[in-house]
Amino acid sequence: MVTNDTNLNFRNWLLDQPEGKTLLRCYQCGRCTSACPVADIEPAFNPRLFLQKIILSDELIAEEQLVWNCLTCEQCEVRCPEHVKIPHILILAKVRGLMKGNVPPAALDRARNILSIGRSLEVSAPMLKTREKMGLPDLGTPPMEKIVEMLADIGIVGNLEKVESVYGGSKDE
Amino acid sequence: MAKNAVVIGAGLAGIQISQQLTDLGVTVHLIEKEAIIGGLSTYLGRVFPTGDCALCLDASNEMYDGHHRKCEYRGLVTEKKNLKLYTQAEVKSITEAEGGFKVSIKLEPRHVKLDRCVVCLECIDVCDVEVPDEYAVRGGTRKAIYRPIPQGVPHAPLIDMEHCTKCGKCADVCKVNAIDFEEKKSSKTINADAVIIATGVEEKIPLEFPGYEYRTSDDIISHAELARLIDPAGDTKGVVTTSTGDNVSKVTMILCVGSRDKTAFEYCSQACCTYSLKHAEMLRDLGIDVTICYMDIRVPNASVHYLANSIEKGVKFLRGKPDKVVVRNGKPVTIVEDTQSQKLMQIESDLVVLASPLAPWGPNSDPVSEFLGEYGFARRVVKEGKVYACGTATGPADIPTSIAEANAVALRVYSDLMEVSK
Amino acid sequence: MSKARTYTYFPGCMIPYRLPHFELSMREVLKKLEVELETSSDHSCCPEPTTFTGVDFEAWVTIAARNVAVSEATGNETVAMCSGCFHTLAVANHMVHEDPELKERINKRLKKSGLEVSGEHAVKNLLHVLHNDIGIEAIAKQVTNPLKQLKIAPHYGCHLVRPLEATNMDSAENPQWMDEIIKATGAEVAEFEDKMACCGAPIMPGDEQKALTITSKHLKHIKASGADAIVVLCPTCYTQMETQQGKVEAIAETEFNIPVLSLGELLALSMGLTEIVTDNQRRYHRVKITELLVKAGVGGA
Repeated sequence: MVTNDTNLNFRNWLLDQPEGKTLLRCYQCGRCTSACPVADIEPAFNPRLFLQKIILSDELIAEEQLVWNCLTCEQCEVRCPEHVKIPHILILAKVRGLMKGNVPPAALDRARNILSIGRSLEVSAPMLKTREKMGLPDLGTPPMEKIVEMLADIGIVGNLEKVESVYGGSKDE
Repeated sequence: MAKNAVVIGAGLAGIQISQQLTDLGVTVHLIEKEAIIGGLSTYLGRVFPTGDCALCLDASNEMYDGHHRKCEYRGLVTEKKNLKLYTQAEVKSITEAEGGFKVSIKLEPRHVKLDRCVVCLECIDVCDVEVPDEYAVRGGTRKAIYRPIPQGVPHAPLIDMEHCTKCGKCADVCKVNAIDFEEKKSSKTINADAVIIATGVEEKIPLEFPGYEYRTSDDIISHAELARLIDPAGDTKGVVTTSTGDNVSKVTMILCVGSRDKTAFEYCSQACCTYSLKHAEMLRDLGIDVTICYMDIRVPNASVHYLANSIEKGVKFLRGKPDKVVVRNGKPVTIVEDTQSQKLMQIESDLVVLASPLAPWGPNSDPVSEFLGEYGFARRVVKEGKVYACGTATGPADIPTSIAEANAVALRVYSDLMEVSK
Repeated sequence: MSKARTYTYFPGCMIPYRLPHFELSMREVLKKLEVELETSSDHSCCPEPTTFTGVDFEAWVTIAARNVAVSEATGNETVAMCSGCFHTLAVANHMVHEDPELKERINKRLKKSGLEVSGEHAVKNLLHVLHNDIGIEAIAKQVTNPLKQLKIAPHYGCHLVRPLEATNMDSAENPQWMDEIIKATGAEVAEFEDKMACCGAPIMPGDEQKALTITSKHLKHIKASGADAIVVLCPTCYTQMETQQGKVEAIAETEFNIPVLSLGELLALSMGLTEIVTDNQRRYHRVKITELLVKAGVGGA
């Protein structure tokens, strides 16, 4: 048996996400795999096979480290005869695997920054000074309380507090 | 009163429907833009397995129960009094008039009189001008006075005035005075009760289609070009060669290059799986290795033997749609995932043959495009009692299907014209 | 008599706070082309599309749509200098346009802030502005120092161009607008294999070795074309190919020594705004551009 998910929960969840429905257009031709620059250097990275697993609702794909090897370059999507939104579908698989810890530590760092200071990276005082010296305008700080409040029903802030990457501690960039 | 029909396009379906309607007593005006009839089949030359043109083979088997084959080409022009063939003719306008149509056509001059030429071909021998042959794949040439293919009908040559030097040698040697350098363009208006669109399809190489690099290499070819290479009457005399003149030992065929594709042509081109298998088998008979990269193999019941024979003769099948063909050290290399083993392959070969989409020719003609629908194809009955279509003008199809369709539409046209059901 | 155009500039994070020379040079170029930029302190991180999407897609598209809504409220069209930001805003805008349920969900979340997203906003990148709005003729008019000796490789990058239905660029496989702008500066466009190849940056967090291998392939193709420099719009592509060029050389076991410029810097060099580039070269260009400047006819600094 390919999957224990006999109710197709994973697949149905994915099909329900924005633009998830393109998954079912796939007829497994394999052009994505021969177009993919990562597949070119890594035999285990096979977009067609990932899609097959998702079509068959194999939820283990959400815990697969390789999904984070997708460049999101969309070369597969551009060449796909059915215009399946392949990188997007892999993104949804990543989302599904977040709470199991299938997420690079750097991605968690960035996400936490975005939801605390509203930037993907730390804004240092020397950098602000450099901007001033260059005559570039002050860009202010975004209204973080309002942004976090707006995301309440999604629960992301709470999730980020709980989740731990299975790939180790956070890395500095 | 005798009814008149105009059939636009003398490809296989156009010829077949003209044949049927004239047999039923309808006067048919058959309009063909090329100098010879046959459409796409003129590229095919010898057709497996008997070496005849496809119409003789498939239509005859169905129609004549295996006895006394009737050549549709030759029978047509010489025997039928109520069939008027116009070659090098294009439709300028189709206007409704007096319960029927006025179809206005313009004709390019052949410069060789059809009612005088006895096809001795001495004119071609003496001509000094040599130009690239449109039917050649490896640089073959033809004369300024020429026949496009040896078995073309009408049999008489034509003169390509763009390259003719008017030296007069052909006229001098012609014993029946068939050559007329001064022949002018002409027009004609035909009164017709019905119009039948049989404008067919062209094998459209998707030049802008990414990945397959048709433009980059002369070793990446279409099936029409492959057919010319295999044809003993072609410019390579049936030897399949690369662009550098070397013998070919390995061929990779790619199916669905631009068909079934939202980026190019959304529909399935129906006939290419079959003729790819036919060509694969012919190549195997020449001792050439063949690998077919496919997503699916779609072969109608009548052609299942092509698949069985291919498998038996050792054609290799790889299930996977290649993303690209790249040229390395002068050789085309096909990059494809073998989906059954999950391995990414790089397959080098001497030639790559692309099964390209069959795109309708109809939209190229303004008067005809009035009657076309989705994707540029026409419905079989466009306007009851008035406008019809048959052959690949209604959608891509293989030859047996087109012929059967032509027969069916012929009967419909006839019964409408004769108001049989009224 | 041309009127100054005004756009709302979406700054993002990487350009203003890591590579401000991108912003500086482009602002000066746009000033010459009579374009004004306004900013809003309500804008946050776009959010960055390569990893945040995989953390929580719904949160990503909501924050992105919020940024679009902030822009909509300014009344101007939006221009994002960073390809990642552009991609994020364009995709969110397009998704809101196509998916009424998503639009409803997002606007419900935005309601409290008094913001609303319509799905009709004009989200642009610098190529839309330079090539389409300003036009090649107007750009060429400002070129006082044609870069005739330079051969430039345009690196569009994936997120600037794809997906085409959201980005409204000219082609997903062979875009031409940056090529034409480069030609307008007088430079020659280098033709190299696999024009739209990815720089590799998005999988640096996922697998650094693979990322750098992919970058090295791309740099090899560009080097083989004989290009004097690469021009980019994206700060992430810049970081990968320029700042990390040493790491790429280690993996490739070969020297590249190919300078990378932002499009603003290239235009600045051609428009007599040399100091903007030379003042900042030591700080932001690890791969020395001194030879390039000589070839560009503006001498070394």
